Amino acid sequence: MSLNFYRRVAFGLSPTDDLPQEPLKWALNQLNSIPDFLWQGSIPTEKELRKKYGEWVYGDRKVLRKKFKNDKTSYRKAKDELRIETGERYFELNEHAIRHYQTKYGTQPVFERFWLFWGNHFAISEKDSLPEFSTGPYQREIIRPNMVKNFEEMVQAVTTSWSMIHHLDNSESVGPNSKKGIEWRETINENHARELLELHTVSPSAGYTQEDVIQLAYIMTGWGHKWSRKNLETGDVWFDQEKHQKGDKVVLGINYKNDAKRELAKVIHDLATHPICIKFVSTKLCRHFITDEPTQEMIDPVIEAWNKSNGNLIEIHKAVVTQAFKYNDNTHKFHPPEIWLMQLSRMFDLNIPLSAEKMSYTFKHKPNNKQKKLSWILRELGNSPYRAKQPNGWSDFEVDWVSPELLLRRFWFASVELPYLVKSQNKSHDFILSCLKNNFEDHEKIASLIDQFRFGTTDKDLGRKYGIICNLPGVLKV
Amino acid sequence: MNCTRRNFLIGGSTTLFLSGFFPKISFSSMKKKNLIIISLRGGMDGLTAIPIIGDKRLKKLRKKLILEDVLKLNNDFGLHPKLEIFHRLWKDDKAAFVHATNIPYTGRSHFDGQNLMETGAHIPYKEKTGWLGRGLLASDIVGKGLAISLPMPLLLRGVPQNNNFFPSPDFVEKKLIDKIYNEFKGDHNELIKSTLDTIRQRPLSMQIATDSGDRKKLALEAAKQLKDQSGPRVAVFELDGFDTHAAQGGVDGAHADELEEVNEIVKILSENLGNAFDNTLILTLTEFGRTIKQNGGYGTEHGYGSAILMAGGLLKKSQVYTDWPGLKKKELFEGRDLNSTIDSRAVYNSAMSICFDKDPEFLRREVFWGDDLPNLTEELFKI
Repeated sequence: MSLNFYRRVAFGLSPTDDLPQEPLKWALNQLNSIPDFLWQGSIPTEKELRKKYGEWVYGDRKVLRKKFKNDKTSYRKAKDELRIETGERYFELNEHAIRHYQTKYGTQPVFERFWLFWGNHFAISEKDSLPEFSTGPYQREIIRPNMVKNFEEMVQAVTTSWSMIHHLDNSESVGPNSKKGIEWRETINENHARELLELHTVSPSAGYTQEDVIQLAYIMTGWGHKWSRKNLETGDVWFDQEKHQKGDKVVLGINYKNDAKRELAKVIHDLATHPICIKFVSTKLCRHFITDEPTQEMIDPVIEAWNKSNGNLIEIHKAVVTQAFKYNDNTHKFHPPEIWLMQLSRMFDLNIPLSAEKMSYTFKHKPNNKQKKLSWILRELGNSPYRAKQPNGWSDFEVDWVSPELLLRRFWFASVELPYLVKSQNKSHDFILSCLKNNFEDHEKIASLIDQFRFGTTDKDLGRKYGIICNLPGVLKV
Repeated sequence: MNCTRRNFLIGGSTTLFLSGFFPKISFSSMKKKNLIIISLRGGMDGLTAIPIIGDKRLKKLRKKLILEDVLKLNNDFGLHPKLEIFHRLWKDDKAAFVHATNIPYTGRSHFDGQNLMETGAHIPYKEKTGWLGRGLLASDIVGKGLAISLPMPLLLRGVPQNNNFFPSPDFVEKKLIDKIYNEFKGDHNELIKSTLDTIRQRPLSMQIATDSGDRKKLALEAAKQLKDQSGPRVAVFELDGFDTHAAQGGVDGAHADELEEVNEIVKILSENLGNAFDNTLILTLTEFGRTIKQNGGYGTEHGYGSAILMAGGLLKKSQVYTDWPGLKKKELFEGRDLNSTIDSRAVYNSAMSICFDKDPEFLRREVFWGDDLPNLTEELFKI
């Protein structure tokens, strides 16, 4: 087993990590419990952040737009002040810090890799102010606690979460034969129903039809935010019977009796335990951890673990890690930029994220450049985690991450930006050599490639060394 | 006016489905021709961009999405006021539209739909290359594709050595690029190797460029490259945000904001390509249109038929080319969407034939598996 296993299922070994005696056991043992967040700074709740979201949209839509109807300049200025007061420019930076602190220092890094996976499987894409206020706490409070339960429970929690409901417009969906549907002459919005089928559970290979989508949308009618004059769309999720489509529904050939809010749990049960769903999600897990086109042999044990445990995620994760271990030395996986950055940060003890103290925010001034740095880097690398363009999240395929500019961004980061992230005590050549030794069998060969710069201590020299190291074939992929 | 199916064929001078006649003489033309595709992700609403005027059904079904100040194209169709550059070009026979058209995909999923609009295939995720990439390869045009985006769009994949332009905040030392290139020599990863090759051959203006935040600068650089006789011949722009399930609006809504971006790109290209604009075709591409009827959130749902916006000097004339299916309930696709009466791939196949100087029959076989795509070169383009 090569050292790259620690990057395949985690983020590599930091200078203070001990070399595990039994690598597979080391990985499997990390999956039984949910590690606490190590971040010492503020970790606001989803509810608190939704309140801020409400203040921001209400202030902008209901106050400023009316007040400055004919004065664009004053409107812009007032809006910028509102951004500062509500933390609109800050919370996403703080969430990135919480996330990257966890992957850099966490004692269960393998668990964290699965956390990233599920946050992306049930992706909230860049829409409205979700990345600013909502996606971070959604991943902390909806995704994470469910990672030791079963898949069905995860889908239930995600589907009725405020973030996903808002993201996929389910609050706009009204059963045409419901009380409000008749009164307002409104109808369904299929968005959420379609993605629940297509992305979250059974995938198009289940062969569902447009009618299945409509029927599932009927079942989902009534689930939405509780709208109010004061909170607008940021009220809690509830079930509004008056929007719910009456009558029986049929999805994928199964009949769901008219049963109000209980219909949803029933259909999710059937979707989340559907053999095609199990195959689809197992394949995706193997693609993420093993290789772009996993073979049936690689996937089968994961499906088996899924079936045996009734979808228990701890068991599923263990099966994935076991397969990743088994195929470690004869498969390749190219990592997307954020995971690559997390690995560099852990292996070379980089100075990201900023300390909790320096990340603190007073709601009186704009966040400063240091506070913005990590998020800026992620964006420039093309992988700002809460800003996937579409609800299918970030791709797990190498081909989506290789283009001249995407590669150049990595070269740029490693050679120009990274030197500023090297801690003052870590500037020596020996430090780099020891990190290489911890993580790469061929560390001597890598060392020879940077040997010509060994006496250099300037940022430029560091840039030359790291520019090479970070972009070698064996570092860009495992 | 009663706009029912086949009441009128706008634009098409003779019959819509011509045989594969293609004058060989144009193959000898050695002028560099550019093909520019602007991907409109999310489902562009053809009826917002090119509304039919005089069919009261549209207004009735879209009470909250009414368009005012529509620019008039002809007696039947108008143009969204934010697409003002197309109106200007229309007057010079340098803008045209294909309406009630789409890829042959009716599934209404963005991801499947976008995959198919790029691959040109029938089964989602089956093909790993884009129709534009295959078209370039079949025409022996290699290393002439340029994407104005950070990732490489699927549309362009299938031909090696494409370039993209979306510069990082600072430039990278050439020595570093060479060193990594050397280290990849022994690696089995062909994709990264050929990408590194492309990086090494980039023109200086691209090597030293920084800042990709400004869409105008990107379009300007694209225009500069395309204008160059030895530069790229194909460019792909990416826009998203057309998925307006809510607050779609009329003149100033969410869809209008997106159309304004299309307008901006076309404006910059038309103003900066100079004479090269005469040898250029710009075409939009989307996964599907949107429902006729507005939904609960004053938006529209995923639909079927949409429109292609076209600009450039290689257009035959200003026209709305369509085989209009009508808006009566029974004329709609599944009773809800504008139908598609023209396979949009026929338009793209014909456009490639013009820009790559290849027989459309040949491209149809090489790129679209011989699918039944009529040759529209004579109707739409200068040949």
